Amino acid sequence: MFLDSWSIALVICGLVVFFMMGFAARSAVRVLLYWDPDSDSGRQIKLENEIWLTSTLVECALGVQILSLTVFVLAADHFSGAIVGAMCATGSLLANDFGVPALTVKIGGVFLYGFWIVLHQLDIRSERYPLVRLKYIYLLTLLPLLVLDLSLGMMYIAGLEPDIITSCCAVVFGEAVGGGTNLFAGFSHFLSLLLLYGSTALLFILGGLLLAWRRIGLVVVFGGVWLWFFLLALVVITTLFSSYVYAMPFHKCPFCILKPEYYYIGFAIYGLLFTGAHLGMSVAVTEPLRQVVGLEEVTERFQRRATLWSLVLLALFTAVSSWHYLRYLLLGGQG
Amino acid sequence: MLIELEHVTKVYNQGLANEVTALREVSLRIDDNSMVCLRGASGSGKSTLLSIIGCVFQPTSGRVAIAGKQLSRLPDRFLTLHRRRYIGFIFQNFNILPALSVEENIMLPLVPLGMRPMVMREKAAVLMERFGISHRRRFPAGQISGGELQRTAIARALVNDPPLILADEPTAHLDSRLSHEFMDFMADLKAAGKTIVITSHDALVTEHKAVDRVIDIRDGRIHVS
Ligand SMILES: Nc1ncnc2c1ncn2[C@@H]1O[C@H](COP(=O)(O)OP(=O)(O)O)[C@@H](O)[C@H]1O
Ligand SMILES: [Mg+2]
Repeated sequence: MFLDSWSIALVICGLVVFFMMGFAARSAVRVLLYWDPDSDSGRQIKLENEIWLTSTLVECALGVQILSLTVFVLAADHFSGAIVGAMCATGSLLANDFGVPALTVKIGGVFLYGFWIVLHQLDIRSERYPLVRLKYIYLLTLLPLLVLDLSLGMMYIAGLEPDIITSCCAVVFGEAVGGGTNLFAGFSHFLSLLLLYGSTALLFILGGLLLAWRRIGLVVVFGGVWLWFFLLALVVITTLFSSYVYAMPFHKCPFCILKPEYYYIGFAIYGLLFTGAHLGMSVAVTEPLRQVVGLEEVTERFQRRATLWSLVLLALFTAVSSWHYLRYLLLGGQG
Repeated sequence: MLIELEHVTKVYNQGLANEVTALREVSLRIDDNSMVCLRGASGSGKSTLLSIIGCVFQPTSGRVAIAGKQLSRLPDRFLTLHRRRYIGFIFQNFNILPALSVEENIMLPLVPLGMRPMVMREKAAVLMERFGISHRRRFPAGQISGGELQRTAIARALVNDPPLILADEPTAHLDSRLSHEFMDFMADLKAAGKTIVITSHDALVTEHKAVDRVIDIRDGRIHVS
């Protein structure tokens, strides 16, 4: 399937990112060896200028890599047309052993790459590059993940064969007769809704408290609850909300909501969820930076904004994701 | 503003065949509210030194502190801000844009600050009045005399009200009357509390009574006689 336009797009994205990161790795090593902001040596001055360029490139590369999650899912959806048994991305992702791991790594990557961008944005708001060393150490730890991300994506594409027979979302997530292999079967609707709306309420309370009265413990709990909420929301969207979007109780799928038939509502749902969760977790991730000289104010301002925005996005997410469900409850199953 | 340079070296085109070392380990201290003249033959490194003081570019190595702060090492976004606020630069050939009017040339440094046009006009008007070029306000700068050009350049360097004025061979293209006039303007600015650095090998400049100190530069080094 390498000659498909979607595969080519993914491969090119991957190669560009890979190339830029290779370049960045060189700078990272130099930073570890020689970085010394107090020195007036020619090497330090050159390194400062080099870092400025590298960091901008890395930010771009990671941004592209984050967006490639969307491309990946859309590509998988597109491949489903050519794979026997697949109706949407679920089927194509299950068509070989690399689809689901690739998706999982990409989802995790969105957050980990995003944190680097947050670090970078805070760093350039200070006059003396206080986070350069941290940023590049973190970058080096991201490299293996990036390599994994890119290679899983490539292996997935390379391993796709049109004659593989796979399942479709109805089998995987549905409550089909016989139970069998389906995921999340028997997960109680009531329990999952209680958990989801309970966690939403908890996030609002924690966020409100944080804005009024900040404590380190609270910051960490807020970030943790956002992580939990993110995972929970993925499950609830798949097992519950999606079937109300499709207005078919046995159609449960996290990917079909991205299709034009459903007015791309999935993009809104996931966009709000990912951005909100990322901002929410960033509040906790950036907490240690408040100790860094020159970053106290910048970090605090970022944390306040991130908290506020994560709550705004949470409210929007709740509204958009529950919309079809609430409509069903109010209008009584009219579709 | 106090200016301190420690072991400043500047190498152009480093690592290339046309590598030039324009400054070698220059250490220098210029006191607040003083007028200093950098003197030296053509090619000795005066413009390079002035540009480094003015944060037009970075030294290859060494430390340049302006009022205790290493401006040129700041990330670009901060450097640009500081440079606009602290430094007024008068270029060798004045670098006046001939197609713009005198007034527009003077307002130029204010444009990136996002100031309201009214405020910019007022600031320019005060300076044109002071330098006697108000009647040329709407003239394209390409159509005014050498003396008026010089005053326009000074006015433009002053429009931000920077504490540090740097002038690169400002009298090179002026006759002796205009050179005197220029130095008298500079003396007024010094009296008003500014720090001034001028490069020149013109005796009219170096021997002016307002000059506190003449620093000789030879082959990229400070020469102590
Ligand atoms: N942009 C440049 N690129 C390469 N060499 C330069 C550049 N500017 C100046 N030089 C060289 O650096 C030396 C010092 O130049 P400069 O500072 O302009 O001297 P001055 O102003 O005293 O005449 C000269 O040898 C000149 O050729
Ligand atoms: Mg010169």
